[in-house]
Amino acid sequence: MIPSRRSFLIGSAALAAGASVSVPFLLPKYHLDRRAKRSRVAILNVDQYSQRIDEVLASGLRLFRIEVQGKTVVLKPNLVDYAPGNAINTHPTLVLAAAESFRSMGAKCVIVAEGPGHQRDTQLVLSESGYEESLRTEGIRFVDFNRDELMRTQLRASYMGMKSLWLPRTVLEADFLVSMPKIKAHHWAGVTLSMKNMLGTVPGARYGWPKNILHWRGIQESILDVCATVPVHFVIADGIIAMEGNGPLNGTPRPLGKIVLADDPIAADATCARLMGFEPDRIAHIREGAKFLGNVSPSLIDQVGEALTPPTTPFDVVPEFRHLYGA
Amino acid sequence: MPFDQPSASLALSLLTPERFRIKSAAVKSDGVVLSTVLAELSRRHLPSGGWAALRSSVQASLETACLATLAIGSEDSDEVRLAQEFIVRVQNPNGSWPAFFGDDQDGAWVTSLAAIALRDVATAISARSSGIHWLMKCQGKEANWFWRWKFLTADRHVRFDPDKFGWPWVPDTCSWVVPTAFAILALSQVPCSCGGLEEIPLRIDHGIEMLMDRTCPGGGWNAGNGVVYGSTVAPHPDDTAIALLALHNRPQHLVVQASLKWLERTAQTLTAPWSLAWAILALAAHAREVGPLIASLMALPDLSGNDDTCTLALVCLAVDYPRSLAALGVNL
Repeated sequence: MIPSRRSFLIGSAALAAGASVSVPFLLPKYHLDRRAKRSRVAILNVDQYSQRIDEVLASGLRLFRIEVQGKTVVLKPNLVDYAPGNAINTHPTLVLAAAESFRSMGAKCVIVAEGPGHQRDTQLVLSESGYEESLRTEGIRFVDFNRDELMRTQLRASYMGMKSLWLPRTVLEADFLVSMPKIKAHHWAGVTLSMKNMLGTVPGARYGWPKNILHWRGIQESILDVCATVPVHFVIADGIIAMEGNGPLNGTPRPLGKIVLADDPIAADATCARLMGFEPDRIAHIREGAKFLGNVSPSLIDQVGEALTPPTTPFDVVPEFRHLYGA
Repeated sequence: MPFDQPSASLALSLLTPERFRIKSAAVKSDGVVLSTVLAELSRRHLPSGGWAALRSSVQASLETACLATLAIGSEDSDEVRLAQEFIVRVQNPNGSWPAFFGDDQDGAWVTSLAAIALRDVATAISARSSGIHWLMKCQGKEANWFWRWKFLTADRHVRFDPDKFGWPWVPDTCSWVVPTAFAILALSQVPCSCGGLEEIPLRIDHGIEMLMDRTCPGGGWNAGNGVVYGSTVAPHPDDTAIALLALHNRPQHLVVQASLKWLERTAQTLTAPWSLAWAILALAAHAREVGPLIASLMALPDLSGNDDTCTLALVCLAVDYPRSLAALGVNL
């Protein structure tokens, strides 16, 4: 088949975009290999935020071998800002369901923690997004990563060109860290999934609001360095109502009706990207992360739960990320 | 005697059981709640002289220390002296202040706050002076011609005029609203523009232009991105309030008026003490009625149990707003 001029131009643009993010990654910049031989991902169908999430999540978690008996579990939702009717944050119903599940699995302590990147008033975001009252009612402690005690931490990858970051004690001392992103398109990173979600651990009280140094050092690079340094043990991604377009704040809510669970953040993000209609290999931090943080290839992922069906209409993205759609 | 401006020396002196002497009529009806919050602030005072950002932490944070020092503010308090000594002690050799004890990164916003907290402290004249000189050298990355050119030509997704720059949170990043507003407040307190500080008025003017440029459509500010990819980004109450404090002597400017309207409307619905306290300070600075807002603040449940020590300090500053505004260089 002879490609049309249009598809040739689109392909060339995609290659050029891919090359521009690949060139800095030509030399290995990681000092570890955390890849499991195989990863496991579960897709759960949930069409709305309701009490039913408790049982769906509990049964979904039983598809994994999770050992949290006597451990401190830190749940890291995506909590950015609040706008009524918008799908910016991980829904509190899902976070509470996760807390309940891990408690019933014998966790010593479950903490919810986040460091919003735009809002200095974390309590305002908690209050307006419905977290504050729920956490209080359930007796769940919240830690503000932006203001937590900090420890200078050697980075375990060197994409940003920084040797260390100050990171919150709570995340560094977690026995079991669960990244709980909202599935969203993102105007700077392409997507914001379990890996991008970890930038919320970088403290505003040290780096400012927004954490502008990460933008200057490169968002894809920052994601890789932070994820190399702070291991994510499990992923629970909120795609019940996802976001497309101009995320993370001003996108359009997109009902996806899925929760994605995974024991590997790369496999989780690759699966979420496929559910969004993107090629995961075209997202620089997923492609590069697959070299040392987890598995991206479907042949290395045990897919359980519902089938992975790409959407009829892919998620909308800003023009700079149209190459994520693939051929 | 720090921050005891004539306008703030009101008739009432309230001596709390915890030794704090608060000077303001505003605190009279809320003295019990306030003394409880101040007592909690005192309990959280670290042996080093600083305060940690969170109750659960022992790592002294500069922003918290500066706001708590201003909040306690009593001239005969050992606690304040200890806090002032702490602030001076942790200054970086280059004149800036770090975000917390043990760090060595320059922080523009904490340098401004430290300069404000050390105003009129005789033993800190040299420290404050070097902090001010550092602030004068610090500027957002877009002040450099190359980045300005990039933002003007290639990177135009965020709507802003890179010719108008202020201060970043930390060096080598862009200007943002809060550090710029704090720097304007700190530099405005410098009594003379001499001895290498001749450009203070110019930097203040640039900073004010930058704030005006970064406003959200419809008024108010967030961190500094009013429009991204053609979409309006919502303002935040605390960022708006801090910017309005820095613009307290520009009450007629249309941006200020629109932002005041937005903040007045929003403040009535706030239940988060940090944002509400900042809103009270800003609205009071612009001569708006804040009595009902203070009542709302004082009625919030378990104020003294708030995990965030910075918020506790800010609550005290808001309730005692005449003295606090004087400390920030805003004369009513």
